[in-house]
Amino acid sequence: MAALSPPSDKVTFWYGCNVVRHGDIIYNAIALLEAVGMEVTPAGGAGYCCGTKKDANLTAAQGMGRRNVEKFNAHNTGQVVSWCPSCYRHMNAFISQYTEPQFDLSHFIEILYERRDWLATKLIHPVTKRVLLHQHLGFHEVDINPMVIALLRLIPGLELMTTSPLAPAHMCSELSRVPASLKVVNQQTCESMRRSGADTLATVFHSCQRLLCGLEASESFTVVNYVNLLAQSMGLVSVDEYKDWKLAGTAQAVIDRLGPDRVAKMGEPFFHASILPELLSPPIK
Amino acid sequence: MISFKGKPSADHLVEHLESFIQDTLARCTQCGECFKACPMTEYGPGLKEARPQEAVAGILDWLKGVPNHATSLDWLKVCTQSSVCIKACPENINVMKMMRTAQISALGSLGAQPALKSRDEKDFFRKINAFSATQLTTEEIEKWQR
Repeated sequence: MAALSPPSDKVTFWYGCNVVRHGDIIYNAIALLEAVGMEVTPAGGAGYCCGTKKDANLTAAQGMGRRNVEKFNAHNTGQVVSWCPSCYRHMNAFISQYTEPQFDLSHFIEILYERRDWLATKLIHPVTKRVLLHQHLGFHEVDINPMVIALLRLIPGLELMTTSPLAPAHMCSELSRVPASLKVVNQQTCESMRRSGADTLATVFHSCQRLLCGLEASESFTVVNYVNLLAQSMGLVSVDEYKDWKLAGTAQAVIDRLGPDRVAKMGEPFFHASILPELLSPPIK
Repeated sequence: MISFKGKPSADHLVEHLESFIQDTLARCTQCGECFKACPMTEYGPGLKEARPQEAVAGILDWLKGVPNHATSLDWLKVCTQSSVCIKACPENINVMKMMRTAQISALGSLGAQPALKSRDEKDFFRKINAFSATQLTTEEIEKWQR
């Protein structure tokens, strides 16, 4: 029989940098860690970028790696929990080879999966959806797909459909470097959704959510990250604002949904030059 | 969970990469199993017809800092870290890391003439900060992102 409350652990939750497009994922991930007993120190954004994109500038990559390890060591939690598979991979395969991390590294899913008995007690609200999981085969360090499936099966009312084909890469952002492959994966995903009769496509990673959520404009299914499904079953309400912006359709509609204050915060010229084109670009299909 | 224990094997990143390269060059038999297993070769021009052993030999040349023929470069361009190659390697080489290190070489970061374009996105960090400002409070940004 399980104890009345899970053991408490202090952890640094390293959410990464690109996920900041989805505040809902960050907040829900923190809520889930807290629900299974973690005392969370969040860390992310540009100042915690792992440097994996800096292969053309190894001086910068090394500086970013050292900076992160120094900051995490200073947190003194002893455990860093990574959200992003690229950060996890880069810390393990590269950064830790020339630095002295004073912490253990886990992936977010490992914590939830280990404590799934506790999590199950919090998943009390039915989520009546027919869900297909969008899966990649590249995150070899952590066998994430079966763990996500196991957690989704804890949600009352949720029907998990036959799983979709495994896409190459560890997440969709890597596939976007080879647009023809992303197109094939997106077409296969839409076809799997039609065949299965699912009404919800669940993404595992933030970049998949970013690159797939725009499919809602032309398809008859919704695209939701799995942490939001778990959070919904805990009774938490969250809005994927990035998806709302992607589905806005016109520049004016995006601006209306963001509101003038937030456009001003981003800097209007920069918003028009860099943010708006991203939000108005449809998914490759 | 990974526990990082003891002293690191290198003092800096390039020293680590050099060590990884030497180890890989010593262990790789150029059997070509990694190339055969790769799910991305259908997306590179000429890769379907390429000889696996030659493609791998080209990757090893990049590790040696010797710019090589088009086949290996085409393979590097379509590598998306599927990790299938790791399971295919009979010598237990981290082939995905081998490919990434060859990409680093082909970017010119290890002394060879650059043959690949940098993956750096224009305004990457500025975009991160801009989106942060829409999703997190000023207090959260100050506390979580500094």
